[in-house]
Amino acid sequence: MSLSRRRVLAGGGTALGTFFIGGHWVKATPKAARERGFTPQVLTATQCGALESVGDALVPGALLAGLAPFIDSQLALGSGSKLIAKYLGVDPLDQQGFYIALADNLITKLALPENTPEQLIGAMATDALTDWMGPPASYAFFVLRADALDVAYGTPEGFATLDIPYAAHIHPEPVW
Amino acid sequence: MAETTDTVIVGAGAAGLFLAARLAEAGERVTVLEAGPERSTQDLISSQIWARKLKWSGPAVEERGNHPVGHAFNAGSGTGGSAVHHYGVWLRLHKGDFTVASDHGVGLDWPFDYEELRPYYDRIQAEVGISGDAEQEIWRPEGAAYPMSPLPIFSQGRVIQKGFAAQGKRTAPLPLAINSRPYKGRASCLYDGWCDSGCPIGALANPLVTWLPRALKAGVTLVHDARVIRVERDVNNPEKIAKVKYLERGSEKTLRAARFIIAAFTVQTTRILLSSADGTTPAPGNRYDQLGRYLTSHPAGTIFGLFESETQPHLGVTGGQLVSHDDYDNKAAAGGFGSSQWIIANAIKPHDLLGYGTSRPDIVGPQVKPWLEKAAKHIGNMTLVIEDIARSENRITLSDSTDRDGIPLAHTYHDLSADLINRWDQRMAEGQAIFRAAGATDVWQGPRVPMHILGGTVMGRDEQSSVTDSFGRVHDTDNLFVAGPSLFPSTGAVNPTFTLTALADRQADHLIG
Repeated sequence: MSLSRRRVLAGGGTALGTFFIGGHWVKATPKAARERGFTPQVLTATQCGALESVGDALVPGALLAGLAPFIDSQLALGSGSKLIAKYLGVDPLDQQGFYIALADNLITKLALPENTPEQLIGAMATDALTDWMGPPASYAFFVLRADALDVAYGTPEGFATLDIPYAAHIHPEPVW
Repeated sequence: MAETTDTVIVGAGAAGLFLAARLAEAGERVTVLEAGPERSTQDLISSQIWARKLKWSGPAVEERGNHPVGHAFNAGSGTGGSAVHHYGVWLRLHKGDFTVASDHGVGLDWPFDYEELRPYYDRIQAEVGISGDAEQEIWRPEGAAYPMSPLPIFSQGRVIQKGFAAQGKRTAPLPLAINSRPYKGRASCLYDGWCDSGCPIGALANPLVTWLPRALKAGVTLVHDARVIRVERDVNNPEKIAKVKYLERGSEKTLRAARFIIAAFTVQTTRILLSSADGTTPAPGNRYDQLGRYLTSHPAGTIFGLFESETQPHLGVTGGQLVSHDDYDNKAAAGGFGSSQWIIANAIKPHDLLGYGTSRPDIVGPQVKPWLEKAAKHIGNMTLVIEDIARSENRITLSDSTDRDGIPLAHTYHDLSADLINRWDQRMAEGQAIFRAAGATDVWQGPRVPMHILGGTVMGRDEQSSVTDSFGRVHDTDNLFVAGPSLFPSTGAVNPTFTLTALADRQADHLIG
């Protein structure tokens, strides 16, 4: 197979997003942005924490891979958001409201002593939660799990952890 | 840019760019207005996340009904339109697809038969290049043999093929507009399964490598970020369109032309025509309240299974490796209604809407990674496509809501009849049986999803039951044409890009004369 042809084509990607870290806009992977203490632009730190704790319960590894900075940076792009919610009936211009409502629901539920993230996702999957506001919990579950899969396994690094050859024609830039 | 030209084409997708090339090569001055951004092959980054940039990014489309059309996933945006991310599955409609109403008393007939379109299928196939084996496709209607041999069958295809054979069903190499060898200056496929993100090497016949170079060489003017609001009639001759109004980066502009072709994909084509009513005159093609009706979308679904043997599911092309049309021609077979096809052994990724990780939301927590590791080596999948039947109540209309520029949004309503749903259920159950016969140890299926969007400005023989004539000319307007899948009176159960291109070729011959 023509590896040289792939090499010729490599390098055409552009950055997926930037992060506000330490008072400056910098290009970084979501993973690095989290490690370096990014400042969210759309969500609050508490909302980010709720999303990543439940997202990590769904797909372990998503938190460290940068689920919260991934979601927040995409929401900041407005109509340019590349979150999978676009395919699932949430117009990019409405995604901020969708995720804020989702995160606030999670914050409320996680504040209850009987709810761990692991217990919460079971109840979300079956819409067994009372006082859940906005789109159904099972729908939010599906979207957040898909986001977690994106950030944990939807990159060349994620493919490598599953021993899948990425074999890009044009590589996505490693810095998102 | 001149304020007057010979032909304005709205939409730089498969149909629009093809017609632009043909008309400009014939000597016409052609301007194409494309709502999305300019794209080149270097924008086709191998990533399912990046690929979302290629999908529809304009104002939202409202969707209702028991089978919403999935506009954000099915539509494209920018140079090449939705064909930039299409999978290159190029199959011909069967003869019976042209006579659904006559044969079965449901839906609509085409205004011509297969034999009328056959030479255009043959010509386009030679020009674009299709890899396949016509002799093995025993159900294929008559036509020229494919110019290239089929793409290779990888482990996944071979494993699933055994299940079809065990069930007494036949398969053939899937005909693909993807090069199995270098063809007319375009490279051959690398089989890395990134078609869904757009093919930057030119092996898959997307418009960026087929029609765009021809259009530019012939002098076509291409305007991006130009969102059409409406066309307006000539005040001195209301049977003609005089100009098109559009927004270019927020500024309203006007362009006059002798001819207008709306090829903005199904929903936006209809939205533009509906928006062109002027208070005293109905919208073009709508004197008999036909505009927007007969919206269709294939009901599709995916069968998944885990096999003992390694399947190498990352290898191949997104469209698949094999096809089966064994059950295609008996539309009225017991159990439901409608033709069906299997496209088999699609190259698949662990994430994204069609990925295997997403297909099992019941697997969470510590089980996710080991399951993905197993699936990455052992999964197989195949896609069912069911015919949709045109119904007048399935319709595109204008919403009461507007976008931020004050332009009414498109509203879609699309229901599937019980017969079609029954057919989908029946075939999906058969698909699961095929996978078990192939030796799958764990079999499951995805939900019913909409694939492709068609209809809304259907062709027909008269103005009382259609919007355009057989050449896509809007019945009540001399110089206004429509191109693309919105013309289809019936859908068959095959992917539409080959047919819409053949149809555009026929239109071009008619327009050039």
